[in-house]
Amino acid sequence: MGSYRKALARALVYLGERLDDLVVLDADTARSTGTIAFADRFRERFFNVGISEQDLIGRAAGMAIAGLRPVAVAFASFMMRGWEQIRNTVDRDTLNVKMIATHAGLSAHIDGSSHQALEDLALMRSLARTVVVSPADETATFEAVVRLVEGYRGPAYVRLGRDNAPRVYEDSSFRFRLGGLEVLEDGGDGAILACGPMVGVALEASRILRGRGLRVGVVDVYSIKPIGRVSLERIASKEPGLVVLEEHRTIGGLGGAVAEVLAGARDRPPLLMLGIPPGVYGDSSRSYGELLARMRLDPGSVARRVEVWLRG
Amino acid sequence: MVGSSPLASHIEALSRLLRDPPPPSELEEKLRARLRMLESRGVSWHIHSSTSMAPILAALYGSWIPSGLRKGVKRIALISKGHGSLAVYALLEILGVVEPGSVERMFSTPGSPMPAHPEARRTPLTLVSTGSLGQVLSVGLGILQASRISKESVEVAVVLGDGELDEGQVWEAVMSAAAEGARGLIAVVDRNMRQHTGPTEEVKPKEPLAEKWRAFGWDVWEVEGRAEIVAEALEEASRSPRPSVVIVRGL
Repeated sequence: MGSYRKALARALVYLGERLDDLVVLDADTARSTGTIAFADRFRERFFNVGISEQDLIGRAAGMAIAGLRPVAVAFASFMMRGWEQIRNTVDRDTLNVKMIATHAGLSAHIDGSSHQALEDLALMRSLARTVVVSPADETATFEAVVRLVEGYRGPAYVRLGRDNAPRVYEDSSFRFRLGGLEVLEDGGDGAILACGPMVGVALEASRILRGRGLRVGVVDVYSIKPIGRVSLERIASKEPGLVVLEEHRTIGGLGGAVAEVLAGARDRPPLLMLGIPPGVYGDSSRSYGELLARMRLDPGSVARRVEVWLRG
Repeated sequence: MVGSSPLASHIEALSRLLRDPPPPSELEEKLRARLRMLESRGVSWHIHSSTSMAPILAALYGSWIPSGLRKGVKRIALISKGHGSLAVYALLEILGVVEPGSVERMFSTPGSPMPAHPEARRTPLTLVSTGSLGQVLSVGLGILQASRISKESVEVAVVLGDGELDEGQVWEAVMSAAAEGARGLIAVVDRNMRQHTGPTEEVKPKEPLAEKWRAFGWDVWEVEGRAEIVAEALEEASRSPRPSVVIVRGL
């Protein structure tokens, strides 16, 4: 397995060497998020604000107002503690703040339900202006962070896990584009739309299903807002069924975003949403795989659930 | 580095506007008179929060910011208690940014530069949007720290309400500013003793307020709400090696 936070660390150091105006802020989690690599290299441009996520967002906002290029990093669950600050200051004033959240989804498997953000996509996606991306692997993480920090001026949220990154792309085979998506496997009997670490699970599930005589496509929908509406409508028009697979509650995340697109399409297949259902939180677990299995989000469970639904 | 930033444009606007500002006591009187007139005409939204802010705005715009300009120090004021907007809008009229009589016509009308709570990119002289309490001291600290990186001489005053001090984020920022040795960050607390549902000491006591700030490592000035006195305290606060708070007691 790859590591999202290691990819983030590499991206920040890479950017730090190129951009004098880049500053990184972290809420006392530098060792866990990977920002320690940037802090060691560029001490005067790194700010550990302490365990205070509201202050984290406010200070990043101030730095953007002053013309710097701030990147605020925190655990996804706790960055949401600053959601109202994000909404009322960063998003409302369209400030150039990059908000990078690690440990999203079930990736903080040992820490348990408090640390496992299953709502952040819904919260961040519902903002007026902030763009939202969820890269699949290390390569995509590096690309997304570098492209957004270098080339996109405005508020952006990047959702990352911890050390649960599958290997999806060969180096330099991924081109990040806001509103983009990547078709990784062609379908015919259906397609799985996934984001983040679930792209890896979808690829494995697709292989299992192929052995059972079903051709199920896999699409990496890394750009959640804006979302690739036209591409999604095209995929929807070709497949008899669509499955959304995400490490998020099945309310308002990627599933919600896809459903919003399809609701307006004339020609649309039924949609199955796989994630963490309403009423359920994550749990503390010694391994990530064990937790995925518990939530029936491991490749075997996903393949079974998709097969039953498609053949149903 | 600050080239085309909102901060750079803001400072440019200030230096244009405040070349020859009215002295603070005169500015305070004009603000109070205009607020009384607005109230008599039924434009009285959170009027008491605006009235108690009059000496603070008069000191900032009539003295502290222009004296900074003369010394080559870029001083800016951020409003955190956005419900004191009528005072801000009266100030805009007096400084000639908008025409006299604009407030009656434009206050809280859709699309106007005078929403109930001032908003950035819409309301003149407003660098950060207001309306949600407790957020702007962090923003001020961020601006100050950014200016250190770009090696510019910047000082930031943030006007807070006393009721606003109930918000936890204020104290996150207060602790942060002390940790960062944020010389040049000045909180100005409008100590009007009122918050939304009643007297501050009944809703949630703030006293001993000066001791609280001191305990967090800030220098403290407690002054009565008259522009000249507030202006003096602000100049002294600017000379402090620590983050400073000026607590302005209502008359």
